Amino acid sequence: MANSKSVIIKIKRQNTPTSQSYWEEFELAHHPGMNVISSLMEIAANPVTREGKPTTPITYDSNCLEEVCGSCAMLVNGRARMACSALIDNLEQPVKLEPFSKFPVVRDLATDRSVLFENLKAVKAWVPIDGSYDLGSGPRISPQEQEQAYPLSRCISCCCCMEACPQFNEDTGFVGAAAISQVRLFNTHPTGKELKRERLAALMGDGGIQECGYAQNCVEVCPKDIPLTRSISEVGGEVMKQALSDLFRR
Amino acid sequence: MASASSTAPRVTEGAPQTVAHGVAPLRTGQGTSFLLRRLHSLTGIVPVGAFLFEHILISNSTAISGPEAYARQVSFLANLPLVFLLELFGIWLPIAFHALYGFYIWYRGDGNTIAYPWSGNWMYTVQRWTGGIAFAYILWHTWTMRFTGVDLHAHPEMSFGKVRGEVFRTPLFLFYVAGLIAASWHFAYGIWLFCAKWGIVSGERARKRFLAVCLGLFFVLTGAGLASLTSFRSHPQQPADPGTAVMNR
Repeated sequence: MANSKSVIIKIKRQNTPTSQSYWEEFELAHHPGMNVISSLMEIAANPVTREGKPTTPITYDSNCLEEVCGSCAMLVNGRARMACSALIDNLEQPVKLEPFSKFPVVRDLATDRSVLFENLKAVKAWVPIDGSYDLGSGPRISPQEQEQAYPLSRCISCCCCMEACPQFNEDTGFVGAAAISQVRLFNTHPTGKELKRERLAALMGDGGIQECGYAQNCVEVCPKDIPLTRSISEVGGEVMKQALSDLFRR
Repeated sequence: MASASSTAPRVTEGAPQTVAHGVAPLRTGQGTSFLLRRLHSLTGIVPVGAFLFEHILISNSTAISGPEAYARQVSFLANLPLVFLLELFGIWLPIAFHALYGFYIWYRGDGNTIAYPWSGNWMYTVQRWTGGIAFAYILWHTWTMRFTGVDLHAHPEMSFGKVRGEVFRTPLFLFYVAGLIAASWHFAYGIWLFCAKWGIVSGERARKRFLAVCLGLFFVLTGAGLASLTSFRSHPQQPADPGTAVMNR
């Protein structure tokens, strides 16, 4: 393996959710267009460390390999991003891979991100259409409204916005930008807005929208370019309006 | 048979492995953090920010016109009705709440400017440091100006001299400048944060425009503060007859 044409990858590994983490280094032959996931696949095909010690393949989540499923989020060189779109040629060497730091590690680079699912349930991030009879077709959504809603609907639940947020941690239990942005999406939907009051009320609980420190990392790391800070501002305004009207009218 | 027996232990092995740590999900309907955090946000604008605005742009700026004008302004403020209650409920308690809850917010956040060195993230950290520096300065400044030395409520004509005595010592002058810059920045960027978080300025371009406005306010506050501070160093010690300043009001 010619040294100039090789890629060094350092991976933070952990065998069980409770065991100690350790680092392993791998050396791969460079070829154009390789990305972090393809490198992990190569390691799985030949799981031998740089020192020549046989080891186990790396555990990681991945699925679509085109940045639409949200599975393969991890820390690449210390920063939250999707591994499938992280091209090795654009990265500083050695490439350092770590699991997300704010989510429980399942094994190696795979983390348990179910907190986002819990948060989406807490804010009722859905359109209520279940009934015992046919509700008929929903109201029409104008092209202008669609244009506003579409970017928000692109969320892939990767949790990058939460990992990068200085306020998202065990002390605050902050809900994170993704769920707040989904509140905006479903509150602007003509049928979804039936649950608007409940969604905004949910965001006033501990860990709610008030914990946002507006560091704006969320919007910077978002792989889908969702206008997350705008969502936080607009939902923040709606939450305040509801809080004030509750104060004076309820 | 073989596969059934091999999957059975895997299920029991995987299922109870609940992990204790990790960030808790949203606690709908629980706690008072929303009220406290929004109150923290509001007190930063009114009354604390409003007082800073008055203190630097209105009161302190009179020092530029000299000791007499400054003494007149101090006398006016000292003679406001129920001035002690105004100070207590309009300044001290709101600042104490804003500062103490602010330190609590600071303690709970995990700044990460090394991994994510973007401007908004830097401002997040700077907002915490400027708040801390401003609070340290305000504690010292209130102690020396309000609670120790000459009582300026009783002797407003001595006020210019009292400030001058401090400002003339270079280390204290630099502490004044640090306090001024920290408080002005914390207030100016705080207005921007307030408007962004309360949904008053929400769009990307609108937020960018408003940031320029807040930056302008920072320069106005700092500029006026520096002009006042230097005027304490450039004017002579006291008016020829200290009594006239107040008498000629």
